[in-house]
Amino acid sequence: MIAALWHNIDYAACVVLFCIGLYTVITKHNLIKKFMGLNIMETAVFAFIVATGVVEGGNAPIMGPGVEPPFINPLPQALILTGIVVAVSTTALALGLVIRIWHQCGTIEADELREAE
Amino acid sequence: MEVIDARAALAPAISLLCAALVFASGERTFWRRLFSLSAALAKLVIVMSMLPGALRGVVYVFDLVQFTEGVGLAFRADALGMFFSLVSSTLWLFTTVYAIGYMEREPNRMRFFGFFALCVSTTVGVAFAENLLTMFLFYETLTICTYPLVIHDETPEAMKAGRKYLAYTLTGGAFVLLGSIATFQLAGTMTLSHPGILTMDAGRGTLIALFICLIAGFGVKAAIMPLHGWLPSAMVAPTPVSALLHAVAVVKVGAFGVLRVVYNVFGVRLLDELGVCDWLAALAAFTIIAASIVAVFQDNLKRRLAFSTISQLSYIVLGASLLTPLAATAAIVHIANQAFAKITMFFVAGSIQRVTGKTTVHELAGIGYRMPYTMGAFTIAALSFIGVPLFAGFVTKWYLSLGALESGAWWYALVMLGSALLNAAYWLPVVYAAFFKTPPSTHVEMQEAHWTMLGPTLVCAAYVILLGATVSVPGMPFALARAAVTFVFGM
Amino acid sequence: MTTWPPLLVAVVVVPILGAVLTPVVGQWRARRAADWALGTMLLTSVVALLLVARVADGGPFSYVAGGWEVPYGIELRFDEFSAVTAIICLLGVLAIVFSRRYAEHALPEVRIPYYYALLLLNLAGMLGFSITGDLFNLFVFMEILSLSGYALVAVSGEKIAEMAAFKYLVMGAVSSIAVLFAIGMLYALTGSLNMADVASRLGGAPVAPVAVAFGMMALGFMVKAAIFPLHIWLPDAHAIAPSPVSAILSGLVVKVGIVGMLRLYQIAYTSRALDLEALNTVLMWLGALSIVMGAFFAVFQDDVKMMLAYSTISNIGYIVMGLGLASSAGVIGASVHVFNHAIIKATLFLGAGALIFRTGKRTLTDLAGVGHAMPWTVAAISVGAISIVGIPPTAGFLCKWYIALGAVEAGHPFFAFALVFGALFIFIYYIRMVNAFYFRPPRDPAILEVREAPASMLVPILVLATLCLVMGVLGRIPLSFIEPAVTRLLAPIGGG
Repeated sequence: MIAALWHNIDYAACVVLFCIGLYTVITKHNLIKKFMGLNIMETAVFAFIVATGVVEGGNAPIMGPGVEPPFINPLPQALILTGIVVAVSTTALALGLVIRIWHQCGTIEADELREAE
Repeated sequence: MEVIDARAALAPAISLLCAALVFASGERTFWRRLFSLSAALAKLVIVMSMLPGALRGVVYVFDLVQFTEGVGLAFRADALGMFFSLVSSTLWLFTTVYAIGYMEREPNRMRFFGFFALCVSTTVGVAFAENLLTMFLFYETLTICTYPLVIHDETPEAMKAGRKYLAYTLTGGAFVLLGSIATFQLAGTMTLSHPGILTMDAGRGTLIALFICLIAGFGVKAAIMPLHGWLPSAMVAPTPVSALLHAVAVVKVGAFGVLRVVYNVFGVRLLDELGVCDWLAALAAFTIIAASIVAVFQDNLKRRLAFSTISQLSYIVLGASLLTPLAATAAIVHIANQAFAKITMFFVAGSIQRVTGKTTVHELAGIGYRMPYTMGAFTIAALSFIGVPLFAGFVTKWYLSLGALESGAWWYALVMLGSALLNAAYWLPVVYAAFFKTPPSTHVEMQEAHWTMLGPTLVCAAYVILLGATVSVPGMPFALARAAVTFVFGM
Repeated sequence: MTTWPPLLVAVVVVPILGAVLTPVVGQWRARRAADWALGTMLLTSVVALLLVARVADGGPFSYVAGGWEVPYGIELRFDEFSAVTAIICLLGVLAIVFSRRYAEHALPEVRIPYYYALLLLNLAGMLGFSITGDLFNLFVFMEILSLSGYALVAVSGEKIAEMAAFKYLVMGAVSSIAVLFAIGMLYALTGSLNMADVASRLGGAPVAPVAVAFGMMALGFMVKAAIFPLHIWLPDAHAIAPSPVSAILSGLVVKVGIVGMLRLYQIAYTSRALDLEALNTVLMWLGALSIVMGAFFAVFQDDVKMMLAYSTISNIGYIVMGLGLASSAGVIGASVHVFNHAIIKATLFLGAGALIFRTGKRTLTDLAGVGHAMPWTVAAISVGAISIVGIPPTAGFLCKWYIALGAVEAGHPFFAFALVFGALFIFIYYIRMVNAFYFRPPRDPAILEVREAPASMLVPILVLATLCLVMGVLGRIPLSFIEPAVTRLLAPIGGG
């Protein structure tokens, strides 16, 4: 069990990170903090997917003189680039909303907002 | 012999078209009347034109759409369906004429006549439904279309009655839907063209559960006790609606559904084996007596009529559940007998209300001097309910009693006798008060309702005698009932 | 019939290009943005119709972008479930027509071009989502439609709209991450992202990670589909958004979760890597719960759009239950209800939008008696109400019938019972609505003076209401269209 965990320490770390993020999203009242939790979750998943492409002792997949196989799988990295773009847009939209809410309500604490409603 | 003929679908479609035209004509009275009357006439003509064929044993069929194998909308004008549609389309014509007079000064007439036409469309749809799906479709649409009629006055009382009506009938509809689905699963078909499609293979428990489900579904509209609660409340509706609801459309659709379930879904032989019909018969007998007793104590004329309806409907259910040919004949002809007699009474009640404003029995003293023709019609209907020979009601009672003896359950003949006495107990005092009690004021002028209301009343009363006196004349609707029974019992 | 394969690309690219150019057109003249968006969507509709015609003719087909071979290139695959594109285009066109007057009234003028751009982007995302054959592509399209969806909820710039949008965004983002996580796991297990390829390679994979992947993915899509108890984001977002947006969100965007589920089932059933008994059971029960709880919450609403939003939860319950039954009739009913509910709910939301546009009121109490003033709109709403409750012969009935039949077929008569009686529960609040519009005395007599909705609103509403009836009467067409796909889907598990 421990050995298996140790062997997959990168995956395990991602899962832990994911849970921390989820916990933050659920428990924090501050909208910014909520969103930071979301970012942590995103990072966890990105790290996880990148980790799936790792090849033990592999080289960076850049063609050129002196670079020999095995290569690290480049596809997950390409995917995650797209994923990061998506995450950035989500964050931008969320922050935009938070600013508007702050201007209109004077608070970004979820419980106070609910009272204001 | 089956013949593909669009008339089977045209009969429901014509009232649908009429409804559309009525809605389109808005508040223009002339066009609305023209459309309503011509559609009623056209429909009667269509149904009548199928009658000679139906009497020869021709069955008109028409497939409208098919969704998938065995699931679709199809029409089939067999003897039983023809009988029911004949009754409803005849009465639609009379009720339309009556309603034109009765609704003269009411608001929202467009809505009233539009939905009125839709109701009849769906009733004939139920009559001609080839399968349970088609039947359910029209059964449910009928519920929706009668709702605006029930709450026509828009008073809080009417809205409450409307809610109650919907709660009862939609729950019933849900049971019908479940039952249809289960039937389709068990039998692989939903057709109503055979004398029974289910077999004992499905298992005794399943079949009994299915029977209860379907009978409870249709029993709501047939007002079998204890599922009758909506009916007296729905009396707040305008009288032509009550007449339509209680004599032609809603309740009869329920009773007709019970007949279809007993004869065409389960079949007489299977039910005999299952033995559930004994319970249904007992429940129907209880309803007949109990509703009559309640009726005796009602002072409001329309409420008395409502409980009388509940009682009379169970004649049909009782006739169906005795599972003998004679009782079945009684059940089928009672669809017509009760309809004409009951609608006469409703027409009378509505006329009295319009002319004198009176609604309760104790106010009717001497009314016979003021409205002799109207009350004469009422007397005919009352005698029919009591079961005096030569009147329509007698035919039912006679055949039902014979059927009870035939099946060996002789005590149901006693129920018939008791019911006759109870009917006398609540209808004769009305007749007595009308003709033999002295009116409150000495100066009485004859003052009948407008001819549009009096005419239909008298014609319906004449029908009551006609139906009672011409049983053995060939070519009359009675022959259709015979044909239906022959088919169902495989004779 | 031959269709130029890049049409598959066009159905996504056209609306995206249109969306990008809308603000440019809008800069020139704000009103032209609406025309531009409409033109774009009409063009897309033509393409989508050609595609649907082809799939009806010759079954599923695919196109690999960029000339790469499967499984390396991104595969666009058009099967029967992808026919949802037709309904996306239909609702898109009608919502844009409806928005012409509504947007001017409900939105600040500077935002109007952006509103249309977001709407097009949202539709493009859904179109892409329903035709892609690649898991990561699926995620990208899901994010396009989700992000534009969040923004559309907030577009009116009102305080509550922004709060609803934020709530929607947080729930939506969490679910998207869950789906992405699942896609990552599937990639790790199979080394492929092409759905068909994943399905064929997944067979021998260890059970536990596959279960986690499927579980995460199902969870993510269930949030998107707003199944009880994961529905909490939906009522606010759908009720507060501008009405045409509500129609799109309620009619289509929640269905993304369902289409996603169908894709998940396609992979799971084909690969047979896992017995989905547990997931199916969960879906059946949650479906039944959604029906009842959606109806339960809706009964207490006075706000028309809030009520409609809760009704969406009930209807998603139907669909999910049908999927969970895993019997032929159940899945057919569920798939067809994806189409039919879109039409019905759009009728209702657009109708409600027209009422709000003319009267400025949105509660049943205030809208009492409006049926006399706006007869056509309210008649259309009534048709929608009858249809959604599943009264024959409307579109809603056939689906209800099929799903209930599926329940009996699968040996779960209890769920047929729950479905049929849940529908009764739903009826309670729709009858309240129709009662209020027609039969209750108006609270403010001024409502009787209101004019009927303008033609640009009335036409879409009436078209949809007519479809509610037509889809019921001609129900055979969608049923027989979707049947081969369901048969193929269930064949590996011995169903169909």
